[in-house]
Amino acid sequence: MKRTRAGWYEAARKAAALVPYLAAVAAVFIALAPVYWLLTISLKREVDQFAYPPQWIGFTATLEHYRDAFAGGSFAAYFENSVLLAAISTLAALAIGVPAAYGLARFEWPRQWDHRIGDWILSTRMLPPIVTIVPLFLMLRQARLLNSLTGLAIVYTGFNLPFVVWMMRGFFEEVPKEIEEAAMLDGESRAGALLRIVLPLVRPGLAATAVFCLVVAWNEFLFALILTQTEAAMTLPVGIASRVTQYEIKWGAMSAAGVVAMIPVLVFAAAAQKYLVRGLSLGAVKG
Amino acid sequence: MLLALSIYPLIYSVKLAAADRRNFTRLFTDRLFLTASIQTIWLTLSALSIEFLLGLALALLIDSLARGRMFFRTALLIPMLLPPVVAAVAWRLIYNPQFGVLNGTLRRLGFHTADLTWTSGESSALASVILVDVWEWTPFLFLLLSAGLQAIPPEPLEAARVDGAGAWRIFRDVTLPLLKPTIVLALLLRTMDLVRIFDQIFILTQGGPGTATETVSLYIYRTAFRFSNFGYAAAMSFVLLAATLLFSRGLLRAMRAR
Repeated sequence: MKRTRAGWYEAARKAAALVPYLAAVAAVFIALAPVYWLLTISLKREVDQFAYPPQWIGFTATLEHYRDAFAGGSFAAYFENSVLLAAISTLAALAIGVPAAYGLARFEWPRQWDHRIGDWILSTRMLPPIVTIVPLFLMLRQARLLNSLTGLAIVYTGFNLPFVVWMMRGFFEEVPKEIEEAAMLDGESRAGALLRIVLPLVRPGLAATAVFCLVVAWNEFLFALILTQTEAAMTLPVGIASRVTQYEIKWGAMSAAGVVAMIPVLVFAAAAQKYLVRGLSLGAVKG
Repeated sequence: MLLALSIYPLIYSVKLAAADRRNFTRLFTDRLFLTASIQTIWLTLSALSIEFLLGLALALLIDSLARGRMFFRTALLIPMLLPPVVAAVAWRLIYNPQFGVLNGTLRRLGFHTADLTWTSGESSALASVILVDVWEWTPFLFLLLSAGLQAIPPEPLEAARVDGAGAWRIFRDVTLPLLKPTIVLALLLRTMDLVRIFDQIFILTQGGPGTATETVSLYIYRTAFRFSNFGYAAAMSFVLLAATLLFSRGLLRAMRAR
């Protein structure tokens, strides 16, 4: 069938409309290919891992590396350490940070103070960790908290705290004062009003803040590397890193551990998606 | 708590570094510190500009799509969310000159790959590290700029279109100025993370080969925890701190301006 000129023009226009989609698909491919490759390595038999040509699909899958890493190896213990640390430090940061944030949001502070507290909170977040790590290392050594989960939990709580205060203050300020004033007129104490009226209102924000703390603690590497040098206190990232720098690398087990390490983060991020922008921009973009 | 974890370490490290004044004079004659500083700056500037341009292009691209925006946005975010250690491990598997998938694929396509050494080549190592950072953190710029684009009210764009402005004019004279606060914020946040980059380089190259990918934070780490020279490490931390403070002042101002 011969196309008319208008028909050709129409077809070209349709094809051109597809170009942005193709570009977007290419970008997604680039973003995901390394992750997919890690996944395949964790599932391949050792002979196939570095076969030429590279096998993207259709290889024989095996779970032996997962067994190696978690059932037989020490990654199960690292995993447990990471879970404990993330949970404890997040809970602690919330327990201290939420009331502090509420106080900052609700009580009158001199204007000048207000700025200063804000700046201070933010600048602790901006400190390069390498700057504080030398003194922290020496302090923890003196307190005999080196190589212990307790020491690391304190440090993680410490650097999640400013973030909690900052984010939660923003969320609290979005709740109209009148709501809790009404509750207090009805005989609630301030703490009661906070617990029963205000917290349920900011629950999505609270959940998102908690997720951010969890992810930060889960992904953190530098502090864990320096403050825990014994096998018993290692976290998942440090455990993985310690295998990479060895002479003979067991890529299968390591990729398996890597895949397991990224799953919780992806789940959490999906849960907090609505607040990702706000959290990542330290509250400056309300996305 | 805040006090214990932010102020006290600072005072402690002042004492530590000042215990021996040579810690500070040594800074000026230390070739390795100079190399590490230059490489940190170079890495920061190049990664930042590539990530910004790519992130902006992606944000505009995804914003222009009629369908599937949510899907693309979510998929593109994944690199940034991974534990940096895991991302770096994946890239080691990719970069390996002999059995990595990158050279394997290139060879398959008929390229000559014997000279492509990526992170293990002295001249290509830093660029390879930058490439990983671009892969990992362009999503961050993309995400913030996307949010910025969506926050732009439709009226000025509409008005410009009615006045007969072309797509490029609208972008340059309307979109870009309205996006500026978001751009400044995103760039500053990213800069502060780049200046302290550690995890990826530690896994990918450990600063090598030679000193090709040595950065300030890696050098501080080595000085303190390999050579146990805590005083000198503290002195170097101050230089890094001063640089970061300079940036964070700008950042705070930008945040308040919003």
